[in-house]
Amino acid sequence: MDTNQILAEIREANLSYMMLAQSLIRADREQALFRLGISEETANLMATLTPAQMMKIATGNTLLCRFRMDDDLVWSLLTSHGKSAANESVSRLHASILMAGRHQEAA
Amino acid sequence: MARSKSILTEARQIERAVTLINLGARLQVLESETDLSYERLLRLYKEVSGRSPSKGQLPFSTDWFMTWQPNIHSSLFLNIHEYLNKTSEMEEIDTVIKAYQLYLEQTEAQGLEPLLSVTRAWRLVKFVDNGMLTMTKCNKCGGHYVTHPHEIAKHYVCGLCNPPARAGKGRQAGSLQMPPAAARQPALDACEVN
Repeated sequence: MDTNQILAEIREANLSYMMLAQSLIRADREQALFRLGISEETANLMATLTPAQMMKIATGNTLLCRFRMDDDLVWSLLTSHGKSAANESVSRLHASILMAGRHQEAA
Repeated sequence: MARSKSILTEARQIERAVTLINLGARLQVLESETDLSYERLLRLYKEVSGRSPSKGQLPFSTDWFMTWQPNIHSSLFLNIHEYLNKTSEMEEIDTVIKAYQLYLEQTEAQGLEPLLSVTRAWRLVKFVDNGMLTMTKCNKCGGHYVTHPHEIAKHYVCGLCNPPARAGKGRQAGSLQMPPAAARQPALDACEVN
């Protein structure tokens, strides 16, 4: 990937993220806060962005959304390497519980 | 209780009641969460679901929430509920509805039977509100799980980090399955938390 391609793909990803975020917020604000893991203030900002503003923000060399499973525990539960398939649904449920408990990051 | 005279309020309550009926709520939930009369609720129920509501008492025991699989489902729901509670201000019943919808989505996405009914979910929130149940942090994974209020927090380990011997042996479709004990690793061995 050359630089131009990288920048183009980052812009694409940013744009789809923001468009999805906006439609989630408009469909159901409270549930969107849970789905996106963002604060109320961020949601308010996102909801009011115009398409032109979105284009501007999306253009850059960094991604606008960040990874939400930045610890070993949730990560290994989700990938569950070296475990049998029977255990997988238990691990995923476990990960869901842990991730749903992280409201301090959003508030 | 004085019946609300506002048509707008009533419209909102009917809408809420319809959502609850569609989620499978029992009539007692509707009676307690709206100001609509019993007769109207009954008619609404038949109109929306096409059948008469189930009769009899609501499940009243807190013990159901303590058994292995129900506890996992209840904890997932309650974590989502707490999340919504902390991030946005809503009326209590709306938080329950939205959290329950998110819970349904998650179980469906994972191919599991939603063990927790909306009536039980509503009961659970009531139990937590009046201190009959609470959430305790697991010492191994740090997640919060539904427990009795007098659980000794210092030694508490959740049912996922330390599954009971008979856990996951049911062969029912959509229930959680665990490999036989011999082959089983405790859920968190791979990622020991210091």
